[in-house]
Amino acid sequence: MAPRVQTRVSNSLLPYLTSTSSISSLPSSSSSQCFSRQFSVTAAPQTKLRRQMFEWLSTEGAELKHHIPGETNYVTRIKDGPMSATRPFPNNPNFVSESILSEELRNEVYNRVVEEKKSVRAVSMDLGIDMKRIAAVVRLVELEKRQREQGKHLALPYARAIHEMVPTTPLAEAGERQTYHEPINDLPAHPLTGAQIFYPVSESRPFNRVEAGRVFSSAPALEQHEAAEISHPSDLAEKVIENPKIIGWVGKGKNAREILQPADVRIPHPHMVALERDRMAHPNERRAVAERQTQRLERQDAAEQQRRDRAQARREKKLQTFTPEKSRFEYRIRETTYTEQTTGSDGRAPWAAGRRYGVPHRDRTRGEVKIPTRVEA
Amino acid sequence: MRNRATNTLSKGKIRQSWSKYNLYNLQQFRSPPTTNRTFFQQKWSAKAVSRAYHGEQVGEGQWKRMFNHRIRSVIPMNTSDLAADDGSLFSSGRGSGLDKEGKPAFQARPTPYTSMAFAPLERRLDVAIFRALFASSARQARQFVIHGAVTVNGQKMRHPSYLLNPGDLFQVEPDRVLFATGTPKTKLERREGRLAQRKEPEAEEATEAEQVEAEPTETPNTKETLKGLLSQAKTIMSTDKDTLPAKRKQELRGFQKAVRRVLSRSESSNVLTDNLEAQFSQLTLLLNAKRSEKKQPKDTKKDKQLSEEDTPATDAATDAAASDKLSEAFAQATLGEEVDASELSDEEFDTLRRALTQMRDNPIDNTKPYATPWRPRDYMSAFAFIPRYLEVNQNICAAVYLRHPVARPGSAEVPTPFGESIATPAYGWYLRRRW
Repeated sequence: MAPRVQTRVSNSLLPYLTSTSSISSLPSSSSSQCFSRQFSVTAAPQTKLRRQMFEWLSTEGAELKHHIPGETNYVTRIKDGPMSATRPFPNNPNFVSESILSEELRNEVYNRVVEEKKSVRAVSMDLGIDMKRIAAVVRLVELEKRQREQGKHLALPYARAIHEMVPTTPLAEAGERQTYHEPINDLPAHPLTGAQIFYPVSESRPFNRVEAGRVFSSAPALEQHEAAEISHPSDLAEKVIENPKIIGWVGKGKNAREILQPADVRIPHPHMVALERDRMAHPNERRAVAERQTQRLERQDAAEQQRRDRAQARREKKLQTFTPEKSRFEYRIRETTYTEQTTGSDGRAPWAAGRRYGVPHRDRTRGEVKIPTRVEA
Repeated sequence: MRNRATNTLSKGKIRQSWSKYNLYNLQQFRSPPTTNRTFFQQKWSAKAVSRAYHGEQVGEGQWKRMFNHRIRSVIPMNTSDLAADDGSLFSSGRGSGLDKEGKPAFQARPTPYTSMAFAPLERRLDVAIFRALFASSARQARQFVIHGAVTVNGQKMRHPSYLLNPGDLFQVEPDRVLFATGTPKTKLERREGRLAQRKEPEAEEATEAEQVEAEPTETPNTKETLKGLLSQAKTIMSTDKDTLPAKRKQELRGFQKAVRRVLSRSESSNVLTDNLEAQFSQLTLLLNAKRSEKKQPKDTKKDKQLSEEDTPATDAATDAAASDKLSEAFAQATLGEEVDASELSDEEFDTLRRALTQMRDNPIDNTKPYATPWRPRDYMSAFAFIPRYLEVNQNICAAVYLRHPVARPGSAEVPTPFGESIATPAYGWYLRRRW
């Protein structure tokens, strides 16, 4: 955009303002205005700040105007040079522009999951991509394919431009090691661990992560024989994956909560710790270690699948649906028992099943927020 | 809602916007001074400055209800460290590991918790659209939502304040995104667009007439046309910033015409009437045939990309017989005169192919609300980053909100232009005087 120029200008100024786009002519025009504006009432065409801005944009800021393919082009580049290429904000060293998946890597993820039928966990470990991201990538590529088939308009030039501006993680060439996209074993900080606890332990007793978790959730320490069973916290991980019900509980009623588990259990890929331990214990048995790892993964996948199936069956059993022919409604039938707990004393409790006759809808009440809180996929 | 979020230079506030005023303010910005100011004053100005950027479209009361003093963070775990130590090493001594030569054994970089003060706002749909680089400002993103151009999980969502849940997929109409992120039209282009819209019904007849006209006039001087084609492709692909858009457009049009001329020589005249994609696949086939006759080319990266890109060209394989004949004819015509087999290098073919792909994906269309061929708007690259809590597919302008933003040792995921000296007092302000 050219610098702002007032539309109504006196004739004497016209010669100075004909070349609107050139900034070099501006100082002369402003200086002449100062001279001729002594009795003028009209607003100044150019303030000092605007002049400074356009000056900066035409000198230092000029290199930010167009992007450089394959490189980032942030403000920090002007002061610190291309070394600080990943920081978009000059005042905030804590924010870095992190790389995105390249087009090829994204397609590779889709191929491995959908066509080669590999598990999300395995692909995540191979490519160093978070499991949630893999699920999202599969979803998005699927959607893209559908839209291409439908012949919908795609934003291809835009996509190319973005991939030129933002750092990307490329797909490794055949035979090369794939660079990891992001850390895949992020441990979410549990709110219980925020407390600073003074907990004296006798020196004769080792104090490991399992016990630390119990202290944080104020559970009693493990018995001697129980503690002896666990040689390393990652032993617990396998047990928990196979049967999550072995996690104990503390507190009563509403305040009941599960005992905080060690990091080995709570990270997204607990089996990687077991693999590491196996490797350390048997450094010369590569093949045997790999075999044990595949067995471990199969065992865990089977256990997880079983649990998922059971949950699904339970859900289906709970919720019977019935759709009459030529109807747009689906009737959901579920078992109810009419007690004070389930339907309230008058049978009209808000959590009771079925439509409650005589109870007005609150959807037109003043102050009722009607912005949805979730959209079913 | 009136937009009070103007980019004034005198106030120098930073906004969620890609405007050049904002860029200037961003690089001019200095933290407010703390000397001789009370703690209250420091917190006030920090809060004022950061609220101008974070959710200025959200009322203060609403934001206060959204604020949460608890900040999500993660610690990246190293599996070999976990395997090596069951935690007893870490808890030895006085509870934080035994010292090594006077230094603590375990040292982690500090986690910038207070930079995450405005994390709840990143859940908003309009902010997420802006973060996914689908709109040039949070205000524009908000407008897209209100105007019904945004879907969440396939359903139209008209509330900019909808709070995304982890796993939600949102999508913006690609045309809106191209409009928001592309260079705006010039006055001349707008005029051309108006004319094009008026002429649309007449256009179809015109193309037919042109086709009929083109066929008899052609002379079999393939050498010259191919050479001309190449030179034009080169000028198009040259990333010279100084060339005026109008000039560029002229060149592009000339190129398009030339391609049509070459294609018109082929026997299958239906290529001309078809869309650009059919033309493109025909030409690439032609070139592929030519290249295979020559020495085996090195499989460069660009070639691979290209072959992946033109997936729609697969339909060309079905009418391979016709194209075979065509390429033969073309090759004979060119090679017979002993011209390009020596003169045309692989690179030249590459440029030609690239020019063709570009022309197919990014055509001139004055009816669009943005300048065509599409190019990114000025100063866009200075604001281009995509935070990790979003997974974006730019082709379809869709993104998934993976999880809530988190802080980790040394970095925070909420994009904020302010350093610790502003983030901490601003966080303190919203602790409701508990700090």
